[in-house]
Amino acid sequence: MMAKLRGGAWLGLLPPLIVLIVWETMAEAGRLPDYLPAPSIIARQTLTMLASGELMRHIGVSLFQALSGFAIGAFFGTVLGLLSGALRPVDRFYEPLISLTYPVPKIALLPLIFAWFGLGDLSKIVTITISVFYPIYISALAGAKSVSRVHVWAARNMGASATQIIWRVLLPTALPQIFTGLRIGLALSFVVMFVAEMVESSVGLGYLILFAEQNLRFDMMYVAIVSIGIIGFSADFLLRQIGKRLLVGQLTATEIRR
Amino acid sequence: MTIVRWFGRYYSIFLLLAIYELIVRFGLVSPRLLPSLTVIGEQLWRYLANGELIVQAQVTLYRAFAGFSLALILGMLIGTLMARSRLAERLIEPIFYFGYPIPKIALYPVFIFVFGLGTGSTIALIVLECVYPITIHVHAGMRSADRVLIWAARNMGASPVQIFWRVLVPAALPIFFTGLRIALPVALIITLVTEMIGESRGLGYFVTYASASYQNARAMAAFFVIAAIGFALDRAVLYARRRVVFWQPTDTSIK
Repeated sequence: MMAKLRGGAWLGLLPPLIVLIVWETMAEAGRLPDYLPAPSIIARQTLTMLASGELMRHIGVSLFQALSGFAIGAFFGTVLGLLSGALRPVDRFYEPLISLTYPVPKIALLPLIFAWFGLGDLSKIVTITISVFYPIYISALAGAKSVSRVHVWAARNMGASATQIIWRVLLPTALPQIFTGLRIGLALSFVVMFVAEMVESSVGLGYLILFAEQNLRFDMMYVAIVSIGIIGFSADFLLRQIGKRLLVGQLTATEIRR
Repeated sequence: MTIVRWFGRYYSIFLLLAIYELIVRFGLVSPRLLPSLTVIGEQLWRYLANGELIVQAQVTLYRAFAGFSLALILGMLIGTLMARSRLAERLIEPIFYFGYPIPKIALYPVFIFVFGLGTGSTIALIVLECVYPITIHVHAGMRSADRVLIWAARNMGASPVQIFWRVLVPAALPIFFTGLRIALPVALIITLVTEMIGESRGLGYFVTYASASYQNARAMAAFFVIAAIGFALDRAVLYARRRVVFWQPTDTSIK
């Protein structure tokens, strides 16, 4: 995709750049409402909060919640998805459950999860785990089902056990699709983390935004917004790089770029 | 016979519900935390009968649909523009490509200041969140049109307008529906979330309020309504896809 854009790639920088310049000059001239502080002020506030370590504290808590929820959800999603693809009884158990609950907005459980697991980290991690599980389970299942029958027959013919078939045939086949699921799940984990922190929390980026908004510290609010944007983007970038390394030679399933 | 087979296909749901009911009935957890299914059913009936849940559901659905329709119009326009003009693609595509993994919900507090607390800011946030998947899928769909088909149409004397409506749009439809299926739940989720954070109406608020007043049964009854809405919307998209894109079977594993 990058190769296709070469030559005109700089054009893409134009719209954000123009917005930034207009924003800055308008803010300097005092033409903007309070809730749109100049980008230079936001940058200065970011540096101050970075130096005092306050920003890192919020980021640390948020990252811990999002990533542990993501890791647990990804583990169960991948394992159960592959097992469902491999073993008919497992599929028969999970298929109705998943197809019934998949389109349900799981986030609506958040208040109940707070009641069940308390107001601490645990309920946030549980909520993230549930939300992340679904897309990963579904892509692992679809990936495992897309396996060529011939490959399975060949492996069985050469005396591979069921475990070996799952590990050596199904997993490599499903890997590109699993990565698509992981990317969706990762983006979701940050959204859910953020929402959970906004609903109920005393630390973390979601809390920082609400705190800043209630105290009319708009510069601080944008610090949190920019941080969450950078974190979301770099986590996705990192995952894509890992995917590229792992899927050498396989067609990456990211043809529809998201 | 068919009932037995139907039961056999969905046995896991009944199994889990039975286990849940047994756990509650044997008093393994406080009924305050996990109320029995009959109590939840009672609450569901009560709040459906007095119309409260229906009113809240109307509020939530109105917001979700208003935001979703705006995003649909905007997304189709931008996606088509990007697919038809190279300049537009170069200018706009990075915003969608790099902006996709960024959680846009973080902008909600800003939207509250711009559009005010309530329906306005919720709809604006839904538009922002939904326009990404819709635009990307419209763009990808139009781009997926087979070059040879376009050449063939042009060769047979089709005008650009004809090519657009008779070749590009049908080619884009399957992928477009995939985008719809991603965007519609997102619209519902964003509505519920904003109602949970700062609202006094809607199903999201109802769940939060009930659970904050230690009425878990009421909250779970409302959750069932939300679940039913989410399920029905997804089925509606699938049905529309089957009717519109009749020439291609559904590509997703969950039907």
